[in-house]
Amino acid sequence: MATKSAIRPFLKASRFQCLNSRTSRYFSQTSIARSEPPQPTNHERTTHFGFETVAEAEKEARVAGVFSNVAQSYDTMNDFMSLGIHRLWKDHFVRSINPGTTTPSTTTTPSPGWKMLDIAGGTGDIAFRLLDHATNINNSPSSTITISDINPEMLEEGRKRSLKTSYANSPRLSFLLANAEILHTVPSNSVDLYTVAFGIRNFTDKPKALREAYRVLKPGGVFACLEFSGVTNPLFDAIYKRWSFGAIPLIGQLVAGDRASYQYLVESIEQFPKQEEFRDMIQEAGFVVPGKGWEDLTGGIAAIHKGVKPVPKQ
Amino acid sequence: MATKRLLPLTRFTQPLRRPYHSYTHPAPPGPFNEIERSILSSAAKHIPSHGFTSTSLALGCSDAGYIAASTNLFPKAAFSLVEWHLLAQREALKGEVDAIAGDGAKPMGVGAKVKELTWRRLMGNEEVIHRWQEALALLASHPSTSIHELALLSDEIWFLSGDVSVDTSWYTKRASLSTIYAATELFMTTDKSVGFQETREFMERRFEDGRSIGSTLGSVGQWVGFTAHAGLNVLRSKGVRI
Repeated sequence: MATKSAIRPFLKASRFQCLNSRTSRYFSQTSIARSEPPQPTNHERTTHFGFETVAEAEKEARVAGVFSNVAQSYDTMNDFMSLGIHRLWKDHFVRSINPGTTTPSTTTTPSPGWKMLDIAGGTGDIAFRLLDHATNINNSPSSTITISDINPEMLEEGRKRSLKTSYANSPRLSFLLANAEILHTVPSNSVDLYTVAFGIRNFTDKPKALREAYRVLKPGGVFACLEFSGVTNPLFDAIYKRWSFGAIPLIGQLVAGDRASYQYLVESIEQFPKQEEFRDMIQEAGFVVPGKGWEDLTGGIAAIHKGVKPVPKQ
Repeated sequence: MATKRLLPLTRFTQPLRRPYHSYTHPAPPGPFNEIERSILSSAAKHIPSHGFTSTSLALGCSDAGYIAASTNLFPKAAFSLVEWHLLAQREALKGEVDAIAGDGAKPMGVGAKVKELTWRRLMGNEEVIHRWQEALALLASHPSTSIHELALLSDEIWFLSGDVSVDTSWYTKRASLSTIYAATELFMTTDKSVGFQETREFMERRFEDGRSIGSTLGSVGQWVGFTAHAGLNVLRSKGVRI
């Protein structure tokens, strides 16, 4: 059982096999058909992969499998999962961060602009928006961004899309293939803004990634995260759960021909810590959160979490 | 580790506001944490020149050792500066009370103290009065915060003046002072006289109005009460069993 589920995402053939094994099930039963957690061996650390419990070492590879499968149909997938609202969320996310602002000064030296790092930003959705906002709204043509992703296919998709923007082959845009938990190539205290949109729930060790974010940010720098979260209204929650567990895997099967990956995506949303819990994790990493710490979007389907790295007292 | 976790969380477990004045417990921490307070107090120095704007906020960030990105600590942007100004000025009134007490040889009455504290609070706007219309515009777009803050201010003034009423006048006193304060504050934004003399006179007239309205209402109440009693007694004398 364990080995079968481990190789499932890697092999197309085995994916069909797994589809066959699941097609006999009504999709309305999807939410209750949790697989039995395999008993982990004593010395192995485990984490969540959707509703399954897997070894930490295994999760990274399996997430990679999911995103390699969906890289091409990524936008379609997001449109279906958020009912098309994810574009508005992303616009609002970027506007609320207001990247590229400068401190007005009496000196004439041009401001160096913001140094931004977009983690799990493969397709560049957020990165291009951030650059656009910095350039067009805040007149900061010197702001730069590094798009980092663990998945080469997603990064390649972003590189392809960047060719259609004015930032193609400019020094303002760079790509980095890296694990967000170990950003070796990014020096400490070097980044003004660290963003992660719809990515952090796939990380194996979230507290470690948060600590790494804290390390690379300048004192006063901002950690901003856009992620699916907990719907606050119970009635709306019931409807939304029905939609996500019932329809999304089916749509995934029809649109992208890949049910297993979409099943993982909705399960991972369910597993991700809710607003208060994630806010506490951000504070645990050392950040100061503004106000209550998060802003709900569309009744809590998604939420924006922010944290600021405090400046050490002199 | 345990204390590190406790510190930020206490902000949410303790009430941010308390509906009464306590002599035995310290005041609740208020809406801003330590870092926000340090940035806002530096930013407040830039209000006279840059107004209630995100520019002042950004300058405050850099004065406090933070970077431009740190303005993300204030989701309400410039309105946080207005909130801060109201909060800081209200808190400063505590110090003013002692100053008033030391002024005169004989102790002042509650009414005189209220008037003096209101005036001192208005003078708290002196430095930023040419920018105050910006703040009023921002306040108008956050009505619940504005009204709440106004209520807190008039409550603070009556409390500090030593008012201990526990009847319906508790409400009328606060309501009338809120009206007077809001009107005078608006008047002050267009006052160009030396030392805000005209504002002072305006405020005196409003307090006088309040008193005369209060006494008129009192007289009307007395008259209504007397007439009702007399009417009842007339009916009783005619044999109606009431």
